[in-house]
Amino acid sequence: MSARETHKTAGFVLRSLQYGESDLIVTFYTREFGKIKGIAKGAKRSRKRFANVFEPFSLTQIIFSRRNRDSLAFIDACDILDHFAAIRMDLEKTLTASYFIDLAEHFSPEGKRNDGVFALLLDFLPLLTRENVSEPIIRFFEMRLLKAAGFEPELAACVRCKTPVANGSPYYFFPKEGGIFCTACARPQRYDQSISAGAVRTLLLGKDMDLEKMKMISMTESLASESRSILCGFISYVLGREVQSLKVLEQVRRYCP
Amino acid sequence: MKSYAQPIKRLIAELAKLPGIGEKTAARLANYILRATPEDVEKLAESLVEVKRKIRLCRICLNPTEEEVCHICGNPARDQHVICVVEEPDALAAIEESGVFHGLYHVLHGALAPLDGIGPENLRLGELSRRISEGRIQELILATNPNVHGEATALLITRMFKDADIRITRIAMGVPMGGDLKYVDKMTISKSMEFRRGM
Ligand SMILES: [Zn+2]
Ligand SMILES: [Zn+2]
Repeated sequence: MSARETHKTAGFVLRSLQYGESDLIVTFYTREFGKIKGIAKGAKRSRKRFANVFEPFSLTQIIFSRRNRDSLAFIDACDILDHFAAIRMDLEKTLTASYFIDLAEHFSPEGKRNDGVFALLLDFLPLLTRENVSEPIIRFFEMRLLKAAGFEPELAACVRCKTPVANGSPYYFFPKEGGIFCTACARPQRYDQSISAGAVRTLLLGKDMDLEKMKMISMTESLASESRSILCGFISYVLGREVQSLKVLEQVRRYCP
Repeated sequence: MKSYAQPIKRLIAELAKLPGIGEKTAARLANYILRATPEDVEKLAESLVEVKRKIRLCRICLNPTEEEVCHICGNPARDQHVICVVEEPDALAAIEESGVFHGLYHVLHGALAPLDGIGPENLRLGELSRRISEGRIQELILATNPNVHGEATALLITRMFKDADIRITRIAMGVPMGGDLKYVDKMTISKSMEFRRGM
């Protein structure tokens, strides 16, 4: 039996699942190791060692050991760096933070470090504690996550003729092509939904905009719904499935506005 | 698992579906069942079938019961103006054991869990709305668990009934009795400061 290596890293709790009578399997998004899964022995029983630490989207400092990169990690210690209490006291914020970590989980292969994804969570979760949830915050997170994960959609120019986006003309977004088509190239069918240059430009703007400026962006209802349909359509196309937490977020909004 | 005969494999697989039971525990239980007398095994099997056949959810509070209305909802001595909302029947049982609560309950059978796709439509909230619209309820005590899912559920219910003419309260959070402050986590300490009381 080879020696176990011990590591220490910061990580966001993505989810935890009960395993056996007293253990938890916890998935983290860590700074150094990307997404990892570890077992917390006795976490269900010991309120002392692991009290209150494996709650979704908490930022923690974990110490874990494992035999090699492919073996299960044993979580030796876990300390809270930030509970994001302000998020937990607000339903919209809790649902949005859940969506953010849900996306981070879906777009991250296990064990692959991605500084961009970690930095994104480190930016957007504290942002949620300070600002109210808005459509731009959610859409810009999606844009940035897609970019960090290597799935950035082409929105700056028509995928086929490469003509840059110009004001006034309608565009068509084709998930399969990974970007927008101008009207001439799209040859739209009657059922294809066009999107405005305004929606495309707003998303491009949000891609690298300074966080503090984001609260100044407002989206009209039609702009918000166009942006949503582009990005959420693209995300479920890439993942091959719907994202559960987004469905819950929208169900709550319908259920009690 | 490979070395087991097919019927044992099947038993282990069925037992391992139970919450909190891993494959190892399931194999241990299966071995116990194998060694038990035929009478004991029959009693166990009958009790499993019986519980499913006889137990249903109370028409009012959704707590599992043998009758149409459970013994709590059917007891005229209980305070008919207060509902304590819990996630699961085991939480109701824990509060009942304490003997301090004399109102009625409502069992949601779950909590909001966005990453698992559990939204308001998966909880028994429609029944709660109906009970409140009948107009007799004056207070709703939210006794969902003090974690992210339970908090979110409490916030959801608060939002649902914010315009109803009822008092909505949340169970207190703080340091456990008989505890030692140095072992209490930061969040619990901060909650206990927030919800301190005058002496
Ligand atoms: Zn074109
Ligand atoms: Zn009842």
